[in-house]
Amino acid sequence: MGVTVLGISGSPHRHGNTETLLDSFLEGARSAGASVDKVVLRDLNYSPCKGCNACHKDGECIVKDDAPPLFDRILAADCLAVASPIYSMGITAQLKGFIDRGQYLWARKFVLKTLDFPGDHMSRHKGIFISTAGQDWSHVFDGAFPSLTALFHDAGFEYYDNIVASNMDEYKGIKNHPTALKEAYAKGLDVVRVLEKIKAQ
Amino acid sequence: MTIKVLAFAGSPRRNGNSEMLLDWVLASMIEDPEVSVQKVPLTEANINICRGCNACEKLNKCIQRDGMDIYHDKIIEADCILLSSPIYCMGIAALPKALIDRVQVFRSRKYVLKLPVVPPERRGKRLGVFLATAGQDWGHVFDAAIPSVKCFYHVIDIRDVDISYLMINHVDEKGAIEHHPTAKADATRLGKSVIAELKKRLAA
Repeated sequence: MGVTVLGISGSPHRHGNTETLLDSFLEGARSAGASVDKVVLRDLNYSPCKGCNACHKDGECIVKDDAPPLFDRILAADCLAVASPIYSMGITAQLKGFIDRGQYLWARKFVLKTLDFPGDHMSRHKGIFISTAGQDWSHVFDGAFPSLTALFHDAGFEYYDNIVASNMDEYKGIKNHPTALKEAYAKGLDVVRVLEKIKAQ
Repeated sequence: MTIKVLAFAGSPRRNGNSEMLLDWVLASMIEDPEVSVQKVPLTEANINICRGCNACEKLNKCIQRDGMDIYHDKIIEADCILLSSPIYCMGIAALPKALIDRVQVFRSRKYVLKLPVVPPERRGKRLGVFLATAGQDWGHVFDAAIPSVKCFYHVIDIRDVDISYLMINHVDEKGAIEHHPTAKADATRLGKSVIAELKKRLAA
């Protein structure tokens, strides 16, 4: 069975720097023979987590909207690429709103203990964070990583890599960045080859 | 002299731990007759997410018409702005992140259009308070929320040194904070000290 890659764009701005970087990664993955899917959060209908903790009792989210079906697709993917621009030193409210809805997976893992990722499951599933920022600071992505770690781990993915490009304001867009798009393409190609090898074992 | 306090309760769960912490701070502030408090639960504030369109860099205003039309002005008028949030998935909850992202209009005003956010005579006379609670007992559970909080206050002309923090971990179930050994006393003390400091600055 081939490698499946799911890309999620968490930018409210269509075809901007971050989504373009994600597209380059997905293009690389596709060129390596993976089956690639892309979801744009802006097109979905979901509300933020209500903090009701109902999922701590039965492992299900009581809010019926587009979020749980997307988590099902995440759980079925070999590689998950999640993209968000940095807004106010963090991921967008749109992506944070989605990540928080994964609380029911956390509840299954740690409260109810009905979800377990045994043995080498995590190393066979790779999570990649893709981001751009207007600012030039090297620490501009730091506030984003912990929430991505939470998402990847709750869904059974090893936090495999980051593909990030800062200083977009100066470059006037990702297309003028000297290396980012090529790096994303190469990493898309590479992670699929790594996963193919793992699957062949 | 009236001291205007604006408080955003950021939790999607009403009257939970982070809002209780906020209420304790506000209760101690309002004991002072010169303090007027407006509390805004973000669940009722009708604040959409930032669309990233960057129109505010040209227009000096947001193209969205929603609750921010009201809170934009209130943010400028307030002497003290409080924000409370639970930590979800190691970060600030999505509702307060939406508020934080929407103050982009102030960032555009300040850094792109080079216009003042508050009149010069009010600079350094505004204070911020960030309150948070987390279920996890890890010491670093609040770390990732801080940069966005600093960003929020920075663009509305509240300096890093003028932000107070009270963050309580290891409280998960609704009301758990009531059993915390120091949270209520710390919140009460914080409210009083912030008002005392504001009075000093406003009188100067």
